[in-house]
Amino acid sequence: MTAAAAVSGVGLTLGVSTSAVRSRSRSPLVTMAVSVDEKTNKSLTLSKSQEAFTAAKELMPGGVNSPVRAFKSVGGQPIVIDSVKGSRMRDIDGNEYIDYVGSWGPAIIGHADDQVLAALSETMKKGTSFGAPCLLENSLAEMVISAVPSIEMVRFVNSGTEACMGVLRLARAYTGNEKIIKFEGCYHGHADPFLVKAGSGVATLGLPDSPGVPKAATFETLIAPFNDFSAVEKLFEDNKGEIAAVILEPVVGNSGFIPPKPDFLSFLRKITKDNNSLLVFDEMVAPAGPMYQAGTLSGNPLAMTAGIQTLKRIKEPGTYEYLDKITGELVRGIIEAGQKAGHAICGGHISGMFGFFFTEGPVYNFADAKKSDTAKFARFYWGMLAEGVYLAPSQFEAGFTSLAHSPDDIKKTIAAAEKVFREI
Amino acid sequence: MIESMGLGGGASSYYYIPEASGKSSWCGCRMQQVSLNNHNNNNNLNLSLANSQQAFTAALDLMPGGVNSPVRAFKSVGGQPIFIHSAKGSRMWDIDANQYIDYVGSWGPAIIGHSHPKVLAALAETMQKGTSFGAPCLLENTLAQMVIAAVPSIEMVRFVNSGTEACMGALRLARAFTGKPKIIKFEGCYHGHADSLLVKAGSGVATLGLPDSPGVPKAATSDTLTAPYNHISAVENLFHHHKGDIAAVILEPVVGNSGFILPKPDFLAAIRKITEENDSLLIFDEVMTGFRLAYGGAQEYFGIVPDLTTLGKIIGGGLPVGAYGGRRNIMEMVAPAGAVYQAGTLSGSPLAMAAGIETMKIIREPGSYEYLDKITGELVNGIVEAGKRAGHPMCGGHINGMFGFFFTEGPVNNFADAKKSDAHKFARFYWGMLEEGVYFAPSQFEAGFTSLAHTPDDIQFTIAAAHKVLSNI
Repeated sequence: MTAAAAVSGVGLTLGVSTSAVRSRSRSPLVTMAVSVDEKTNKSLTLSKSQEAFTAAKELMPGGVNSPVRAFKSVGGQPIVIDSVKGSRMRDIDGNEYIDYVGSWGPAIIGHADDQVLAALSETMKKGTSFGAPCLLENSLAEMVISAVPSIEMVRFVNSGTEACMGVLRLARAYTGNEKIIKFEGCYHGHADPFLVKAGSGVATLGLPDSPGVPKAATFETLIAPFNDFSAVEKLFEDNKGEIAAVILEPVVGNSGFIPPKPDFLSFLRKITKDNNSLLVFDEMVAPAGPMYQAGTLSGNPLAMTAGIQTLKRIKEPGTYEYLDKITGELVRGIIEAGQKAGHAICGGHISGMFGFFFTEGPVYNFADAKKSDTAKFARFYWGMLAEGVYLAPSQFEAGFTSLAHSPDDIKKTIAAAEKVFREI
Repeated sequence: MIESMGLGGGASSYYYIPEASGKSSWCGCRMQQVSLNNHNNNNNLNLSLANSQQAFTAALDLMPGGVNSPVRAFKSVGGQPIFIHSAKGSRMWDIDANQYIDYVGSWGPAIIGHSHPKVLAALAETMQKGTSFGAPCLLENTLAQMVIAAVPSIEMVRFVNSGTEACMGALRLARAFTGKPKIIKFEGCYHGHADSLLVKAGSGVATLGLPDSPGVPKAATSDTLTAPYNHISAVENLFHHHKGDIAAVILEPVVGNSGFILPKPDFLAAIRKITEENDSLLIFDEVMTGFRLAYGGAQEYFGIVPDLTTLGKIIGGGLPVGAYGGRRNIMEMVAPAGAVYQAGTLSGSPLAMAAGIETMKIIREPGSYEYLDKITGELVNGIVEAGKRAGHPMCGGHINGMFGFFFTEGPVNNFADAKKSDAHKFARFYWGMLEEGVYFAPSQFEAGFTSLAHTPDDIQFTIAAAHKVLSNI
């Protein structure tokens, strides 16, 4: 299949974007606008989605409120969602999908869980936002603190971007240093210091990843490839006594799913300790100090309720075992099906998080991930969509399962994969 | 002699007055700690706040300062914060069952009143279909259309999760669009906590920015220039000294974050003119004023159209939503249409969109702003009159649903003027009013907000309470 033919039915965005934007990763990558053969989506009616997206492009930049939603990595126009429940999504044309995006992670107990909705219904009668302390903040704080080993004290904010901003400021304030180390392909929200691309070479000073980000904001962000011990050692050597923190996704999800090599995390723990730098695991919040950070809607009762109910459910016995079981089956089934059909493919999972790459592998870092055949991924993507399976519309995103994904869902998905692999 | 207020658990009960250094009180700047004298000791309060105190003591172990946003900690007024149980219409109830008429309105969102039945109904219906998709939904189109139709400068809009994110996005966009590095902001204006915007002004009329908080590198703020609000010549000076380098001027078109401060006549027009002449963008931070001063915000009210606008609070109807928008050719630089990166997992979630849509539908009904103008005018005039009658120097003002008053002669034209307020007196007034069942913002340097749910009775009650308290403090 060529990747250059224009196809009418799906209404592709044409042209090649030569600048950064690729899924949610912050490293620059040439994104091909990929065309899709009509065959793979003949069975999907998407006319309402197309209409909605055409309207959306007049209203919002790229027609979306977050870049990865625009489907640029897989070509075609995005699907507009009407509703979600459990493991399923329904688009506005009435097509139903088994969903493996899970709203990019939040839906670990399944979408629109009845108990969460019930709790929300009750809580919202008392108000959705006070701008003042409420007891629910204490409750969720206690749950987070007892769950997460490193957390003795927590601050709630309104997004992952705000959390990483806060943590960065805190690490700088606490250590008195300004430099940070992050890893290629790891994404920590869009605060200026994180929007950094690696230059050439193993480890390098950060150059801004996006127009509008001053070099002054990124020059203290040092980059290393994920899983690269010696690159990190070198950075600590070359910047002795100057590094405030190392920040990473302990299992990468934003370049696709990339687990740490054995000992990589303990190595980072040791080298940061030895150098009086902080180790920051993204999606966690470090203890506090006198630095500034605020938020009108932070800790609002509705959000706290949703979080509390979700955590209550997910910490019930057997949940992670269940996720491990079904996700393992899913990924193994997909990989086997791909290999059987002669495709170079690799992948893995940990509990409810998974990924696969259209490459021989192994994939240890972003450079490895980029060897993936993204054109093939796009064909696979649309093929699976036609079979009623909704994956993340980018090779460089992890996948997510939930407690609501049934063994049947998994079997259906593997069967669909077998079919699609034979066709692409 | 400094005495502790001695409120529950031995928690320190100081409040802060800012140093005379051109910073607003919301920043983590060095402040003098001053405690209230025993006049306001809890034992003398007519309010039982035992449950709040207990909750706050617990919270101090769990969250920094016991809160998820600094102003909630009551540090400016002393004592311990009040924990809210519920809010409805113009009322709030704390967890000791005290009821208050609320003039914080969750810092702005609650313009149609707390827990409006139509909003709750829309939420109940929408949530059945899911609270977050991570993918486009039609409700985003709907709210986008409403925002674009309402706000003069906005031809295209991006939804985000907070005012902080909106200002970050707008700033990055302005730098990308103009290719210039520097920005001008005004002392006492708050635009969220992105590094470049956490800047204190040093002494002098206009100065290079030094960071306002530990952990903010000087390199992040050295391109942030500050000037006193309402000070045109300071701005002209900055444009003169940094010719060709200024990407944007960002301001609250009516200040709410130093208390309520109006732009002088022609101030906004002058800023508009000087930005145009210098190929810099004008950014109105309407996170507070948007949909509150008028349906089209301050830009509609004053007839000045900026290049970019940031929004928040009301637009989320009580759920976390921010937005930035402006001319199409500027906004199309934002990814994925362009290369300026900004993203968000929960941005545009159906639940938040539904809350915003319902809220906007209700506030734009005919008569809303006239009503807000009427009751808020009565309120502020009533309070200021009561204060003066009791012999206190006081001034204040309002525009439709936004108001403020200062314990100083006035007029208050900028943050330096605002800081002349008698912060001790404000604290005594604050706690006095709390005892009477009126909940203001726990800081002199915050605006006040009314809603469609505030009745004339609420206003009368509040003014009567003010009379009582002002003659006692």
